[in-house]
Amino acid sequence: MTHPMIQFDKVLKAYGALQVLKDLDFSVDKGEVVSIIGPSGSGKTTVLRVLMTLEGIQGGTMYVDGEPLNKMNVDGQLVDASKAHIRRIRSKIGMVFQNFNLFPHMTALENCNESPIFTQGKSKAEATEESMRLLDTVGLADKANHYPSQLSGGQQQRVAIARTLAMHPEILLFDEPTSALDPEMVGEVLEVIRNLAESGNYTMLLVTHQMGFAREVSDRVCFFDGGFMVEQGQPNDLFGNPQNERLKQFLSKVLEAG
Amino acid sequence: MDWDWDFTFETVLPRMWEAAGVTIWATVISFLLALVGGLILMLLKTHRSPWVSRPATEVIEFIRATPLLVQIFFLFFLLPEIGITLPPLTTGILAIGIYNSALCAEVYRAGFQAVPKGQWEACIALNMSTYRTYRDVIIPQSLPPIVPALGNYLVAIFKETPLLSFVAVAEIMQISKLIGAEYYRFTEAVTIAGIFFLVMSLVAAFLIRIVENYVKRSILH
Ligand SMILES: Nc1ncnc2c1ncn2[C@@H]1O[C@H](COP(=O)(O)OP(=O)(O)O)[C@@H](O)[C@H]1O
Ligand SMILES: [Mg+2]
Repeated sequence: MTHPMIQFDKVLKAYGALQVLKDLDFSVDKGEVVSIIGPSGSGKTTVLRVLMTLEGIQGGTMYVDGEPLNKMNVDGQLVDASKAHIRRIRSKIGMVFQNFNLFPHMTALENCNESPIFTQGKSKAEATEESMRLLDTVGLADKANHYPSQLSGGQQQRVAIARTLAMHPEILLFDEPTSALDPEMVGEVLEVIRNLAESGNYTMLLVTHQMGFAREVSDRVCFFDGGFMVEQGQPNDLFGNPQNERLKQFLSKVLEAG
Repeated sequence: MDWDWDFTFETVLPRMWEAAGVTIWATVISFLLALVGGLILMLLKTHRSPWVSRPATEVIEFIRATPLLVQIFFLFFLLPEIGITLPPLTTGILAIGIYNSALCAEVYRAGFQAVPKGQWEACIALNMSTYRTYRDVIIPQSLPPIVPALGNYLVAIFKETPLLSFVAVAEIMQISKLIGAEYYRFTEAVTIAGIFFLVMSLVAAFLIRIVENYVKRSILH
């Protein structure tokens, strides 16, 4: 039996009277790399935040690997999920933030070790070995004992990616991972993300303003506008032959801006 | 003003010396109570369930809204009524400790809320438990603002201990009053009590500064 890795079923997210996601239906298959594009304020970040359970939702259900995330099954009835249930499902999801959110009082290595040791119960030696391997993959093995303040933005974001990988998620969420970076550091972070996308090991949701990159690495691109997913398709179709009027406007503006 | 040095050295100082120990002891234990009690009250107050957070908020408000002296009297006369008989010093330490717990709770709350939202969110994204979130991420980062504020409460508690003289605890104020009443001489005893408080406050402020710098250095790299 196959089910999507991520599924939003009529998900409603509102801040007071402001509806940010309006009965969103959306699904992502296992191993699929999906980019989300759209104008500022269209709800892109919110899609990731509700899935990471950083925000509650007001209606609908999210499923991860076939299991409800915000609900759980009790005697055949879907009830609000307990904390333990949410933690179990959430362990499959990792998120990389726009502002890295590294722990400033811990070294790069300690940042990576925190969750494996204290959430997954690994020994320090075991965790360190794996964290060093991951730091090496993102090209920062020699910075393991540096604190975030001693690293450049690009390096911090790569540590943040290694830290996320250390918890062995099946799903990776990226919220504009290069937006807070100086232009010369964007490349090094995109390179790491590209390798993750090409490895095929992860189901990935990427919110980005890097249209060229989205086109290159994605299996599918979704255009959000005003809380709705207005259009989606394979990158070449969506960028080469957009249908929706708003999408056309958005793309021409983005291309103008370079 | 006539000041009697012999009286000061032979009568006042020896008795005040012992009383100073009581004052310091009361200060330290009350402060430790307030540190732990404040943290507990804050965690209850910010608990997700309103069944926990509402009563905690009320208790904190109640404690803050009543004068400390009233609370000292309250415990002193009420506890024996319900069958708990404690020495006056213990009762007094309890009262000062509880009162300052309610004040310290606010210090913790402000300190924890000053930790950027992104740090809390990273803890959720890394699927960390509440305990680990506080222990490894939130508390270490909130120490730099919390430590000096708590230090102020240490000094405040120290200056509140003379209230214990109202329930006859042999702390420094009580002893200087007793000496004064016995010998009909208040000048020496009360002056020495004043100097004692001044010197100890300065020493405490100095120690707090050292701890503050240590925390800053070891947490903010
Ligand atoms: N905490 C919040 N409180 C109120 N409104 C919010 C909050 N977070 C986001 N919003 C609003 O939700 C909408 C969508 O936000 P977001 O998902 O961040 O958009 P995007 O990432 O596409 O720019 C915006 O109108 C934003 O102002
Ligand atoms: Mg956004």
